[in-house]
Amino acid sequence: MVRKTFESEIQQVKDDVLILGSMVEKALLDSVEALKKRDIKAAEKLFLEDREINKKRFEIENHLMVLIATQQPMAHDLRLLASCMEIISELERMGDYAKGISNINIRMGDIPLLKPLIDVPRMAQKGVDMLHRSLTAFVNEDVETAQSLPVEDDEVDALYNQIYRELMTFVIADPKTIERANWLLWVAHNLERFADRVTNICERTVFIVTGEMTEIKSTDDEFWEQRKHEE
Amino acid sequence: MKEKMVVQGFADNVDARNRKAMIWHVLFQASTIVGIIALIALMLNIINGAFGYVAYEARVDPDTLAVDGTSIEDQSKEQLVSLLQATLSRGAYNTLDKAKSFADRSREEVYQLVVERIVKPQVVQVWNLWQSLTQADAIRATVAQDHPEAELEFVSWLNADFVRRPQTSESLTAGVRTAILGSLWTILFTILLAFPIGVGAAIYLEEYASDNWLNRIIQTNINNLAGVPSIIYGILGLAIFVRTLEPLTSGEVFGLVDPSTANGRTVLSAGLTLGLLVLPIIIINAQEAIRAVPRSLRNASFGVGATKWQTVWSHVLPTALPGILTGTILAVSRAIGETAPLVVVGASTAISFDPNSPFSKFTTLPIQIYQWTSRPQDEFRSLAAAAILVLLVLLLSLNASAILIRNRFSRRM
Amino acid sequence: MTANNHSDHQYVMETHDLDIYYGSFKAVTDVNMKVERNKVTAIIGPSGCGKSTLLRAFNRMNELYAGTSIKGQVMFYGEDIYARDVDPVEVRYRIGMVFQKPNPFPKSIYENIAWTARIHGYKGKMDELVEGALKQAALWDEVKDKLHQSGLSLSGGQQQRLCIARAISIKPEVILMDEPASALDPIATLKIEELMQELKKQYTIVIVTHNMQQAARASDYTAMMMLSGEGERSGTVIEFDVTNRIFTNPKDKRTEDYVTGRFG
Repeated sequence: MVRKTFESEIQQVKDDVLILGSMVEKALLDSVEALKKRDIKAAEKLFLEDREINKKRFEIENHLMVLIATQQPMAHDLRLLASCMEIISELERMGDYAKGISNINIRMGDIPLLKPLIDVPRMAQKGVDMLHRSLTAFVNEDVETAQSLPVEDDEVDALYNQIYRELMTFVIADPKTIERANWLLWVAHNLERFADRVTNICERTVFIVTGEMTEIKSTDDEFWEQRKHEE
Repeated sequence: MKEKMVVQGFADNVDARNRKAMIWHVLFQASTIVGIIALIALMLNIINGAFGYVAYEARVDPDTLAVDGTSIEDQSKEQLVSLLQATLSRGAYNTLDKAKSFADRSREEVYQLVVERIVKPQVVQVWNLWQSLTQADAIRATVAQDHPEAELEFVSWLNADFVRRPQTSESLTAGVRTAILGSLWTILFTILLAFPIGVGAAIYLEEYASDNWLNRIIQTNINNLAGVPSIIYGILGLAIFVRTLEPLTSGEVFGLVDPSTANGRTVLSAGLTLGLLVLPIIIINAQEAIRAVPRSLRNASFGVGATKWQTVWSHVLPTALPGILTGTILAVSRAIGETAPLVVVGASTAISFDPNSPFSKFTTLPIQIYQWTSRPQDEFRSLAAAAILVLLVLLLSLNASAILIRNRFSRRM
Repeated sequence: MTANNHSDHQYVMETHDLDIYYGSFKAVTDVNMKVERNKVTAIIGPSGCGKSTLLRAFNRMNELYAGTSIKGQVMFYGEDIYARDVDPVEVRYRIGMVFQKPNPFPKSIYENIAWTARIHGYKGKMDELVEGALKQAALWDEVKDKLHQSGLSLSGGQQQRLCIARAISIKPEVILMDEPASALDPIATLKIEELMQELKKQYTIVIVTHNMQQAARASDYTAMMMLSGEGERSGTVIEFDVTNRIFTNPKDKRTEDYVTGRFG
């Protein structure tokens, strides 16, 4: 078997990316759960655990650089390793979103939630689910899944819009709730961006297999394109 | 290794292998030593014969021929000539003069005639070097007893005069000059014929000839010709150069006929015959040398757009030149020692005049040696030994100069 | 061969359906490729697939090996170099070659170049020609004080640059390089690669290499050769593209296997 060492190194990198992904998934779900329960202690712990995510990301990055320098990857291998660099960067940013939610939890302190969290956990669940499937598609180099996944971002966007309208209603009714509404909006915003980044991961997966880097458009983009056309 | 480490399945046989290797080593050394011993024995034998005591009696005591206290060894040419004129009969004197006028002869030649015709020393006995060194007193006693009239002298048969004097039938004053010059003249024509043709043929066969059946036949024939016995070349030379091409080789065509021969048995014929003999050797060696030129050099030349001839002339030949010269050395060494073909072609057995043109009569060193060894008298064996030494020196110096030339060429590369 | 002003030609050389035979053995099959002017075109592939054979066909050097013949055409500025009335000597004058093992003549450095110029009838100032060629080959500074030393006294890398200087001294159009750096150490190799980038401004270069990274670094176009031609051991060009594509996203799976090192 040719390039046995290299193959096993690549496999290890993929496994590490999955590990990083599950760290991020857990961080997001835990931070939303902590927010729901207003568990400040847990939030503080999660805030610090983000350091582990960063550390893991740099570990993988170093490993990738060594592989690129020593194994002289070409074609598919080169695209794979270059894409891994991008993906772990995305994952690290997604971990930052989870950290942001814990941050808000801590800063809210004793102040209670404006409303009980229903859509927020649903957004988080959906985002994590999308992330999980995108990473599986990445490891298996499954182009079909990677191309069809980004459209599910619409669901997350829809939930975000719903939360937005709801919070606006609160604020219009009682302007003094604006700070609490703001916090919740920020949490929802983080979750919405979280799901967006999954699209980038899918695009990279397609690039690895086909060598073509194209943007997989969401319905939002198509909407704007249409509008521009009409003008 | 203090500890023996033997791997499973293999034997501990390092000592046995070394022993075996040593045996072969000793065998090879022994064979080399045997060769060296044989060589030394040969050399000693020759040297032994070339020096020693000689007892001779002169018919006319040279001292009586002294004029005003000057012995004949120191007399001038004119004095010697007048001595001859006075002593010899008119007929004998005139014959000598007609063969080669006294005016043309050197002093050495006249002196030799004096010794030959007037003094006429007769050699009584000859001893070799070993005897001369170990039994000097015994020899003196024997001579005093058996040959009281004889002179006893320690002679180095190989001396400067030996080389300078022409051939005579008289042993004590004989020299090899005629033979040396004959050899050199012959070799000159051999090289003139064989070198250009041989190298040219080699270039053609290696560079230009295509690999078809005709060229393969030619190649095989050349290889075979190198092994043909030399006497056959002699017969060939006799038939073609001496007889058929007589007008050419005798010089008739050029109007330069040697009056004493007027036939094809000339230096030119000898040179041409030997030329044919060494031609295959030169061709084969030159081919090897050309073949040894690396392909990369030719590629480089063709790669910059050179023609085949430019490649051969500017690159292949200069690089092959050391090898070609080596082959020529081998050929010349072979040719100098050839006797049989030249006997057939007609080397003269008794000439005392130096060859002075391609169309002269000739003799060569090996032939001279052969002739001397076939004479019954002992002293001629000593002369032969001395002549062999001269031949060896000639050979070695030719080889050395050729090697020097070759080294200079390779160093320049 | 005519010496037109060729500034209108984009492709200096082209092959049309080129087959190369050793006797009856078909070594190279059906090659159609174009060599663009002032660019470096690399030919890569596994050992024994016919790269050097193909390269030698570009300047008729294959004719030095007995029994070689071709079918098809090799065009140089639109003229078939194998046409009956074309002299191979002139072909090699216009299309020069540098070999794998450096082979300077066993003459002085100066003479290596001077002899070459002389046989092509150069009557001008030889010193200037030699200096110019050595400067172009990035060798002048290293040898300017020892021009009369033997070419063989130089190091491997210097010898190869001398061979390049010799080849360019007669101003050919194309320089063919048969694995020029494979016998050299890494530093010398990089120097040769740098040199190629300079040289391509004035000449067109075709290089055969088994070093993929070198082809990726130094060439503009790459031809991928494999033993996929007609018959058991015949080579052919399976892919020809801009170098970047060959090494980041090749079209043919066999090319992909080769460049990622999973071939064989």
